[in-house]
Amino acid sequence: MKRILWIVLGLALMGGAYGVYLYNKPHKNMTNAVVDQKITAQELYEAFNNDEAASNARYLDKTIAVSGQVKEVTQTPEGGTKITLEAGDFGVSCELDPLSKHARTTFQAGENVSFKGICAGYNLDVQLARCVEIK
Amino acid sequence: MLKGSFVLLIALFIGVQAFAQKFFTKDAKVTFKSETPIEKIDATNNSGTIVLDPATNRVECKVLIKNFLFEKALMQEHFNENYMESTQFPNATFKGNITNPTEVNFAKDGAYTAKLSGTMNMHGVEKPANIIGKVTVKGGIISIHADFAVSAADYNIPIPSVVSDKIAKSIDVKVDGTLKPMSK
Repeated sequence: MKRILWIVLGLALMGGAYGVYLYNKPHKNMTNAVVDQKITAQELYEAFNNDEAASNARYLDKTIAVSGQVKEVTQTPEGGTKITLEAGDFGVSCELDPLSKHARTTFQAGENVSFKGICAGYNLDVQLARCVEIK
Repeated sequence: MLKGSFVLLIALFIGVQAFAQKFFTKDAKVTFKSETPIEKIDATNNSGTIVLDPATNRVECKVLIKNFLFEKALMQEHFNENYMESTQFPNATFKGNITNPTEVNFAKDGAYTAKLSGTMNMHGVEKPANIIGKVTVKGGIISIHADFAVSAADYNIPIPSVVSDKIAKSIDVKVDGTLKPMSK
């Protein structure tokens, strides 16, 4: 009888600990994230512009490595950085991950860069969330 | 005579140009907050788009659900998978018209209150929506600020009873955007 009580208590503690772990589970580490697909900014924008539904099925939530030429750099209200890569009318926007360390946060218009980030979909621009620069 | 009509033509052309000019941003900040005595949840998206056409008083906004960042990964996961079902419904939109256009002059510096009436679409549900926007025009740049509440139930977003005391029935949404002339 006493043993059963101990087992129940043990399970309850484990369940509680798992609950706390889940509640505080960290965000995906983008620096170590494995790239699912590699593509140029132009190709990615065109894919969404031509067929949004098919591109959503293919790219949403995937970690995508995208390369292209910097069109513009904007600051977010929280002091973050968003880089828009040249593609179509509105480009591919890559917002630097606020949770990762970045070797640099300054980019010049016209330079060629590559980022990996999580594809959030197609607005006017194609948007990648939580980006980190890759070489 | 000829000179006169030429001037008129130029004036007309400039007039049409000024009116044909749309304004837009793709960096609007969209935040929402759910606050109950037990839990405070908020999320931010820095990539909302707003397109304003002063000629027709049309306003269109769109935000990608998967670009909302939460402090807690688990909340972000639940928000996307259980509540907004963002793989199936990747964006939320508002499309509407300014119903008091005579009270808002986008061509003149000043602060105005714009009344918007239109439809909000999220989680696959379309509802009529009225939004009050604060508009500030300064040197050809248009800043828009809007605050409104969204009821999860209105958009068919089920909140399980186990967490009903952690998630507010009415979610406060804030939109801030700085619109520049669309150059195309």
